[in-house]
Amino acid sequence: MSSFIKSTKEANQIVIIETDGYLNNEGGEAISAICYEKIKGGQHKFLINMAGTKVVNSIGVSILIEIIEKLQEVDGKIGYYNLAPIVAKTFNIMGLTKYSTVFATEEEAVGAL
Amino acid sequence: MTKQFNINELQLKYLELETLLDITNELNSFENVSVLLQEILIKSCAVLNASSGLILMQNNNSDLFQIEAEFNIDVEALKGIIFNKKKGFFNEVNQNRKPLAVEISNDNFLARTNCTFGLIAPLLDKKDLVGVIVLFDKESRAGISSFDDSDTNMLSAIASQAGVAYNNIKLMENIKEAKTFNDNIMQSIVTGVFTTNLMGEISHVNRAAAAIINLEREMVIGNHYDYVFESNEIINQLISKCEEILATISETQIQIDCNGKSTSVNISVSPLLNDLNEPIGSVVAMEDLSNLDKLKSTFKKYVSKQIVDQLLENDEMLNLGGQEQEATILFSDIRGFTSMSETMTPTEVVETLNDYFNLMIEIIFKYNGTLDKIIGDALMVIYGAPNSTDKDTENAVLTAIEMQEKLIEFNQLRIINSKPPITIGIGINRGKVISGNIGSRQQMNFTVIGDSVNLASRLCSVAASDEIIVSDAVWKQVKDNKLFKGKKLSPVKVKGKAKPIQIKEILYHRPAFHYEQAFEKIEAFLITHLPTKYTYHTIHHIRDVVEQAEKIAKKEKMSKAEIEDIKLAAWLHDVGYIWEPTRHEARGAEYATTVLTALNFPKTKINKITGIILATKIPQSPKNIYEEIVCDADLDYLGREDYIVNSNNFLQEIQLNKKITELEWLSIQDKFLRAHHYFTTRSINSREAKKQERLKMIQEQIKTIKNGTSRT
Repeated sequence: MSSFIKSTKEANQIVIIETDGYLNNEGGEAISAICYEKIKGGQHKFLINMAGTKVVNSIGVSILIEIIEKLQEVDGKIGYYNLAPIVAKTFNIMGLTKYSTVFATEEEAVGAL
Repeated sequence: MTKQFNINELQLKYLELETLLDITNELNSFENVSVLLQEILIKSCAVLNASSGLILMQNNNSDLFQIEAEFNIDVEALKGIIFNKKKGFFNEVNQNRKPLAVEISNDNFLARTNCTFGLIAPLLDKKDLVGVIVLFDKESRAGISSFDDSDTNMLSAIASQAGVAYNNIKLMENIKEAKTFNDNIMQSIVTGVFTTNLMGEISHVNRAAAAIINLEREMVIGNHYDYVFESNEIINQLISKCEEILATISETQIQIDCNGKSTSVNISVSPLLNDLNEPIGSVVAMEDLSNLDKLKSTFKKYVSKQIVDQLLENDEMLNLGGQEQEATILFSDIRGFTSMSETMTPTEVVETLNDYFNLMIEIIFKYNGTLDKIIGDALMVIYGAPNSTDKDTENAVLTAIEMQEKLIEFNQLRIINSKPPITIGIGINRGKVISGNIGSRQQMNFTVIGDSVNLASRLCSVAASDEIIVSDAVWKQVKDNKLFKGKKLSPVKVKGKAKPIQIKEILYHRPAFHYEQAFEKIEAFLITHLPTKYTYHTIHHIRDVVEQAEKIAKKEKMSKAEIEDIKLAAWLHDVGYIWEPTRHEARGAEYATTVLTALNFPKTKINKITGIILATKIPQSPKNIYEEIVCDADLDYLGREDYIVNSNNFLQEIQLNKKITELEWLSIQDKFLRAHHYFTTRSINSREAKKQERLKMIQEQIKTIKNGTSRT
């Protein structure tokens, strides 16, 4: 597992991935690798805990978009919580929030997905 | 990929602009350079899709850069790399002051970053290169690539903003550093300093100033000086004056009230001017003199002000060693203090000595004497050492005279307060002495030693109570001064001298004994001290005896002077009741001796008074007319109309100790009246008949009671 992925766990059939560090090309690919593997295993709901990620670039965002596209094919969903303001702002500008949801807490996210 | 999800150029530009706007907005919110640089680096990396980055800043003392911020890079791998401003890529950036996109070859010093592409932008302080932002490896979904012109422009814009922010923070840091530096200096100095602004409000107070004015800084800052120094008009006047004339003014040794505490200070007020020499307020400096005052005050308890001032000015005086010089030495000693202290509690002894020493030492210092030693109840005082004047001996004699004169007043107060008076003998000599600091470096005493000192001590022993005895050497120095009167005494043999020593007694003013003043003092003493439980031996009885004694004395043709003595004895005849009723005559005689001596009553007449007091003891035993008069006055009421009132008061007083029956009381009166007889013609003529009538009545009453008792 990449050092960017701090942990993964499952709750209510949702895969929860905790990240740590720069969500760039490398970080994005680390997330997508897990998601694609879990999709193959039949899981379609993902939550990213981004408490440890304070920086994101457009490449990282574009990889998340790729994951959203993949999930749309299987009627899956992805959401994020614990976002730093600058990360939330970037997600917003890059249009990510139109196709996925930003939550305040894990409880809220697990309940909503 | 579905087209609707593509990130388009517009979104990226929007992100770039937002990032630049964020940086611009946030730049002035940073107070710390490190935090600012880290934030700029992260945002630069994010917006330009750089995989990592560094910000290098110039070391203050060289052309070398050091890492101030890093992002997503292994800094450990960069250890040991010398980032020289004047070499390689950095030199190019330094020369052109423009961003530079580079490819990092294997032999480049940045190769250890394991990055392939770099974008270096200058951070400028005005025109000087103070640092660089270095971004590495532009990311894309296809892999890493070099930075393009758009990236260069973007980073240039960020670096430009960053440079401004960096300089602002540095400026603020310099200002804060200077302020802290100034504050530290201000806080550490012992001089109290505060400043006022143009509005007269206090804008700065250092710790020492707050301590001097005895107020918390918070209570002072922002308040007008008029308010803060409401009770110190002098400070307000000084500041006002300084504001008016724009020049430094000062006052020394002024006493100010500091929130209830009085403090002595030196004050200086100066105008505060800006770069244009325009007034912007005032600065007030205060020097607290209280510690110096305390030191002086403590010191002055031991040596005269003269010596203190000399020591403070010239610490060479503190060296061990001595010199031979002329000095005048005074010794004084309380007479009979040991036996007197036997009747006092330890606390009373200490209180008495402290009261006495306080009075005497004040006089000693008044005449510039140096208190050398207190030896038990004795004092040794030096005049003329270490520094001599032509007034030394005169000052010593003036001290002795004032000591004796003040002691008379001191004793009068003690008498009123029922305390035994103190008498002293004083001896003064002048001659060669060895003076200097004698002792160890840790503890030394300034003193004088030598034969002349010993002789002064011997003369003190020769002096009787109330006397001042001086040597011939002293008398020769003061005899021409009309202030002093000397009485030649027989030469005396003193220990350590083969030949008898010529001595003189210095005479001083002993206030004449004033009967009326003595009567008042004794009466006040009786009123204060006679036990209130007595119903007969009261101040009224004593006043009555004094009044009757005067009447009888006049009838007996006594002279005016004799009448005064008789009245004095009458005032004192029952004073012993204060201490010991059963032998009050003896205790009264003792007290009379003490008090009359202290009041300067002629010693030859004291026995006459004590004789009268003792003669009033029942059965009365007068041996002369004076004693007869007071004895008759004491029992004058036996032949008067107010007999019943007086005898009832007496009965009540007797019954304090023992209940007696009416018959017993009548029998006591019968026995007493039969045994009593008046001595003076006046009393025999005017009181005896009435007394006999009273006796008959009492005897009738006894008979009646006895008959009544036998009938029942």
